[in-house]
Amino acid sequence: MPEYVVSSQAYAKAILHCAKYPWAAVQGLLLGEKKEGKFRLTDAVPLSHNWTQLTPMFDVAFQQVQIYAKSKNLVVAGFYVANEDPESVQLSASSSLLAQTIVSINPEAIAFAINAKNFKTSQSSQPALVAFSFVDSQWKEQTAAFSGSAGKGSAKNAAIFTLENNQALTTARILVEERAEVGIFDFDEHLENVSLDWLQNSALNERIRTA
Amino acid sequence: MSSSLALLAEIRQSSERRPFEVLKLAEPLLNKGTISQAGDDVWLVYEQVFLAAIDEGQIELAKAILITLQKRFSGSQRVKRLYGLVNEAAGHPGESKKLYDEIIEKDETNVLASKRIVAMLKAQGRYAQAIKELVSYLDVYANDFEGWLELAHLYLGQHMYAQAAFCIEEVILLQPANHYYHLCYAEINYTMGRLDIALKEYLRVVELSTDNVRGFYGVKLTADRILDLVKNRPKKDQLHFSLDNVPQQGTLERLSQLATERLVNAYSEANAACRTVNEQWLKE
Repeated sequence: MPEYVVSSQAYAKAILHCAKYPWAAVQGLLLGEKKEGKFRLTDAVPLSHNWTQLTPMFDVAFQQVQIYAKSKNLVVAGFYVANEDPESVQLSASSSLLAQTIVSINPEAIAFAINAKNFKTSQSSQPALVAFSFVDSQWKEQTAAFSGSAGKGSAKNAAIFTLENNQALTTARILVEERAEVGIFDFDEHLENVSLDWLQNSALNERIRTA
Repeated sequence: MSSSLALLAEIRQSSERRPFEVLKLAEPLLNKGTISQAGDDVWLVYEQVFLAAIDEGQIELAKAILITLQKRFSGSQRVKRLYGLVNEAAGHPGESKKLYDEIIEKDETNVLASKRIVAMLKAQGRYAQAIKELVSYLDVYANDFEGWLELAHLYLGQHMYAQAAFCIEEVILLQPANHYYHLCYAEINYTMGRLDIALKEYLRVVELSTDNVRGFYGVKLTADRILDLVKNRPKKDQLHFSLDNVPQQGTLERLSQLATERLVNAYSEANAACRTVNEQWLKE
């Protein structure tokens, strides 16, 4: 059973990317490494908030993120998307195809849809993420993700998803509350101003660490 | 005029969506009453703060402002539309629809109300219906390039790329010198495999907007892809793409080189990590 652990940094950055553009769809990539049989999703690289169904700049960004990941001994391990319609937590046709390109270089890559409506519930002990694994040539929702088990009656090899620690949810909430999303920059923004740090968002990483 | 009011005026001018900032700037003005320093513009400021409040989900604040506006402009269709908006935000689309219908009944040329109806359908996830309404609207107001842009956006959401491309063509006809629309058109065509058009349009982007980084990425990506298909791939691979009017191989290579040079030049402004990755990418 494959197990994926989402780090505080990856979760916070995906959520902040979504929070920066609440009226738009946003998407990005997840970086990670396989350690002791588990996939640790350690970072998120935000890509775009505009024309998310179009491919050219995704192609450029994906190629560049692969180069960057390699330099950090990481691999591109996943894709995240927040749909324009907050009620929708499925992977659209274009999201599925884009996420699939990651599977073609990393068969164990996963996808997340951000459930923005779930984020507001401060009592929630689960991250605002819907997880998908690529099984039988399609993206299948992992309904037991983050629930602490593989779920009753789920497929024998259903993936397990957990957060790195309990702090991850609180950190994300604190950052959204303080409007930290002004400090996250995606590839779209980088293309308008190349001095923006879309690959690392180092300043934000520091803020996440100290939150 | 206070600096807050000046900033608010700037944001109104650029019509950027910055609701959090608007509320932060306006809060002291409203509390201390200094908003009246705006003179005749005060009603524009109220409207601006109303819209920001709606965007931030601060319905009570929005309602309070609306009462102020209603007192001053009772019977106004413009204020009526704002009542429609607050009802949408509060989750009463039926009420909003009634108000917008009334506005249109009184004046069928009220385009803002017509657009709200399309927006409501979109918010309800009724995309096919939203598209239908917007198409009818554009039959009448074919010069409304924002309408065509929104229709393109709706079509892209449904992955109807050819229809989206058609809409952007209409926008380009109306605004041929705006590189942003050529960029959108290039990217839609690239996605559809129409590499010949994509390349042409990306070149138009860098023609209209000097050293446009996104444009040059597009030129390099497209030129290299065409070269790869034409030089290295079997004919059957090429069938998925439209390569009818591509430049000669020599020209494509020079275009790719030009793009590389301009990108390296642009990336002197980037941080070390991004610059290194870009250099590596350009080599591959």
